[in-house]
Order: sequence, then C-alpha cells, then structure tokens
Amino acid sequence: MPSRLVSANRCSDRPAPDSRTVLEFRNISFSFSGRRETIDVLRNVSFTCREDEIVAVIGPSGCGKSTLLSLATGLRKPSAGEVLIDGKVVKGADPRLGMLFQQTTLLPWRSVEENVELGLEIRGEPKRVRRRRAIALVQQYGLAGFERKYPHALSGGMQKRAALAQTLAIEPKVLLLDEPFAALDAQTRIIIQNDVVKICRAGRRSMLIVTHDIAEALAMADRIVVLSRRPATVKELYEVPFSREAASVADAPAMPGFADDYKRIWNALDISITGMGAAA
Amino acid sequence: MSEGLRHRLLVNLGRLVVLAAILVGAELGIRYGLLSRLFFSSPSEIFAALQAELDKGTFLPDVGFTVFETLLGLAAGSLSGMAVGLTLPQVRIISNVIEPFLMVLNGIPVIVIAPLFILWLGLGLASKVGISIYIVFFAMFIPVYTASLRLDTALVDALRVMGASRWQIFWKVIVPSSLPSVYTGLKIGSGLALIGAVIGEFVASRAGLGHMILYASGNLDTPALYLGIIALAAFAAALSLAVDAIGPLLVHWRFADEK
Repeated sequence: MPSRLVSANRCSDRPAPDSRTVLEFRNISFSFSGRRETIDVLRNVSFTCREDEIVAVIGPSGCGKSTLLSLATGLRKPSAGEVLIDGKVVKGADPRLGMLFQQTTLLPWRSVEENVELGLEIRGEPKRVRRRRAIALVQQYGLAGFERKYPHALSGGMQKRAALAQTLAIEPKVLLLDEPFAALDAQTRIIIQNDVVKICRAGRRSMLIVTHDIAEALAMADRIVVLSRRPATVKELYEVPFSREAASVADAPAMPGFADDYKRIWNALDISITGMGAAA
Repeated sequence: MSEGLRHRLLVNLGRLVVLAAILVGAELGIRYGLLSRLFFSSPSEIFAALQAELDKGTFLPDVGFTVFETLLGLAAGSLSGMAVGLTLPQVRIISNVIEPFLMVLNGIPVIVIAPLFILWLGLGLASKVGISIYIVFFAMFIPVYTASLRLDTALVDALRVMGASRWQIFWKVIVPSSLPSVYTGLKIGSGLALIGAVIGEFVASRAGLGHMILYASGNLDTPALYLGIIALAAFAAALSLAVDAIGPLLVHWRFADEK
C-alpha cells in the first residue's frame, strides 16, 4: 500500500462529512518578554482536531508544543489569534477539556480513589455520585485493589493509569496529553498508549497529544502536525494512512508505510545529527 | 528470640542501668560526703523537697502555670505561624514588603525581647504566653512559608485545568502540601514554647516553675532547684512524646501502605 502522506500545501483536512471540528487553533501567535527581548514562540499556527480524532503535535525540542496545550486549557493567553472549543473562544478552564500532564499530578496525600474523585469534587458533585464514578473508573483502568493506596505506593504505569482515570472522571470531550508517557519504561509505555487510544475511540473522544517521539505519533494519531523550529509554524500536516487499521499500538510499526512515514517526518523535523564522529 | 527484640531489650536494660547508676551514685555520694550538698542533691533530698513544696501548696500551681503558658503559647504560636506562612505567599507584593521585617524580628534573641513583653503585658500569665507565642510563631512560620514558596506548580496547574477556584486550590493543594512543614514546625515549636515561658518567668514573675527555680537558686536551696529542673525536664519529655504521637497523623500518607 503506498503511503498517502500529504503536505499542508496540498491538502489541509481529510474530508469527513460526519465529524465536526471540536478544537480549533486559529492563527495563534504567542510570545513572551524575556530579559532583553521578546521571544516569539508560536507564529500564526492554525489546525483543528475533530470529533473522534487523534491529532499528534510533533516538533523540535523547545519549539512551543506544550505552549499550545496551555493555550487550550486557558492557563496562558495567546498574543494573537484564538483557540475555539465547539466554536466558542476559550477564556479559562473549560469543563470539556481534560489534560494528562507529563509529570505526575496525583495529590500525594490522597488515595487513588480520592484522587480520581478530585475533578468531580471541584465541580461540587455530591460525595455519593463521586464515589460511585471513581470506583467504576478504578475498576475499569485495572486499579482494583489499589483504591486506598497512596500514589507513592504505585508503579509508574499505575500512577499514569490513576492520573488518566482522574482526567477522564469529568468525562471531557477533548483529551490533551503533554508528553505523558516519556517517563515510562518502553513496555509499559506501549500498553498505556494502547489503552489511551482504545478509551479515546470507545468514547468517540478527540485527543491532542504533544510528543517528540515520531513512533508514538505514528502509532497513536490519525493526523500529525509537524511544527518548525521557534518561532514555530505548522510545517507539515500528515495523515496517518494506517491509523485505524493497526490492531494495536504495538502492531503499528509493522504496518506498510510506517518506516517511510517515519523517515519523512524525521526529515521534516530538520534535526541535524552532529554527534560524536559526525562532524566532518 | 528475634534479633530486633533482643536488641531492644538490651537497649532498655542499658538505659535502666545508666539511670540507676546516676540515682544510686548521687544518693551514696551525698550520704558519704563525696559530693558537696551545695552543688548536688541526693534523690531522697529531692523527694523531701517535693514534699515540702507540696506542703507549702505552691508546687502544683507553679507546675500548672508553666504548663498552661507553654501549651497556650504552642497552640496560638503554631496557628498564627501557620496562618501567616500559608497566606503571605498568596499575595506576592505584601510578602515581598513584609519578609525582611519578619526576618529581622526573628533574628533578635528572645531573651532581650522578653523585658518588652513584661513591660507591655505585666508580671502575670499574659507576658509569658506572649513571649512563648513570639518564638513559636517563627518556628512554625519559617518552614511553612518556605514550603509555600516552593509549591509544586504542576499540581496547581492540574487543578486549574479542572476548573478549581483559588479558594479550592488553597485548601486542596497549598494547605495539604504544607503539612510536612507544619510537623517540623510543631517539633521545633514544642521545645521553644517551654523555653519562652520559662524565660518570661526568669525575667519577672510571681509564679511558675521558672520562678520556683530562680527562688530556690537565690536561697541556695539546691534540692528545690533540682526538683524544678527535673519537673521541667519531665514536662518537656512528655510534650515531645505527645508531638511525636500526634505529628505523624498530619502526614499520614507518608506512613501508609509502604511498598
């Protein structure tokens, strides 16, 4: 099967009449004042994430990938442009968004169950409702028997599952992930990546995942947004042809076209390897 | 017998031997004239002094006075130190303005501040409690304040994304993250609370164990002097044991389900 990689210039969006745009970055620019000069982080970035779609954002280190997520969550405000959720401009924390952070954000003084309840507690749900939902999620995400354990007693993979349950407890329509699996060991990472994809698909949720791992982007996403170096612009927009065909995340690398796509994205990232012995 | 149990038995036995050696040594040393009665007292003399003080009817009130000052100073000083330590970092501009003043105040030795408290609050209970609050406040404020400044912002961000208000973030993140520092503050503060109360009594007072010790020392009443010191030591030990028993409840999650 020939790969159907397309560049941003030739094709903007895959036509899919039945799915509508849930999250949209519209002409986003972001800069902050450094000690001496203003640093431009993002310049005129536009892309969308539709219902039931997984979009990966990939780019060189420090290009401002994570900044995009903090703009969507309202933690930061864009210098120009706007982020829209369901067509409405984001002004602050939005109940339709859930975010999984890179570092563990479980509260160390709360048990797994109490941590999963946190989002509902903030919304003022009554204790009975919270507990019932938390117990169901804990079971669903393979944490049964660990309800009353504190985060420090959990392995890295289980902490990630608990954090995922915490994020999904409020039933967000859009899931934002900020390099969430970077600290996991290789096998646990694949298992959790696979779980996240399954959960996302099952709930017809949209997901935006920021990563610097090309294989992760190809294995999980339907589309990949490649950002350039700072100030970051959208350099390329790829569709992953086998995104819904691979049986699991672990099977993705064996899909036809994976190696070619990997190479093309690598080239688009324009990272020069000048390690030991590479200098002429 | 397990290795651990055997070790503990040996340690406790050793401690009993040391205590017995001190008591018997003092008793025999005084009785056979090896130790001066002016500098040392035997356990039986100290016990006689206890009975004499009880007969006078001032000993128990003196103990009660010092205990009350200490506990009140510890409670009020800890609570105010916690409250200021937690809230001050929330308003950056105010904390920046006030910080140097607090640090200078903290640097003044409490012994030279004590006369001021006597001047302001009189010879009675209030001045001792005031001095005690003063030093306990800093013992609690400094660790709590430092911890609040070094708060894990990732946790705060996670809650903000969930839509938490400032108030919710304060109670669900900032207060619980300060609890290990509160435990530290309580441990240091419990020792200082007693020091503050006794310093107040030493500077000027009409009652309390500090007053009794000062009086005994002025009268060269060595057994009463030792009695006062032993009573203070016993109270200090009890207070420290109480804090060690209650403190871990503040950081219960650290002791729960070790791997």
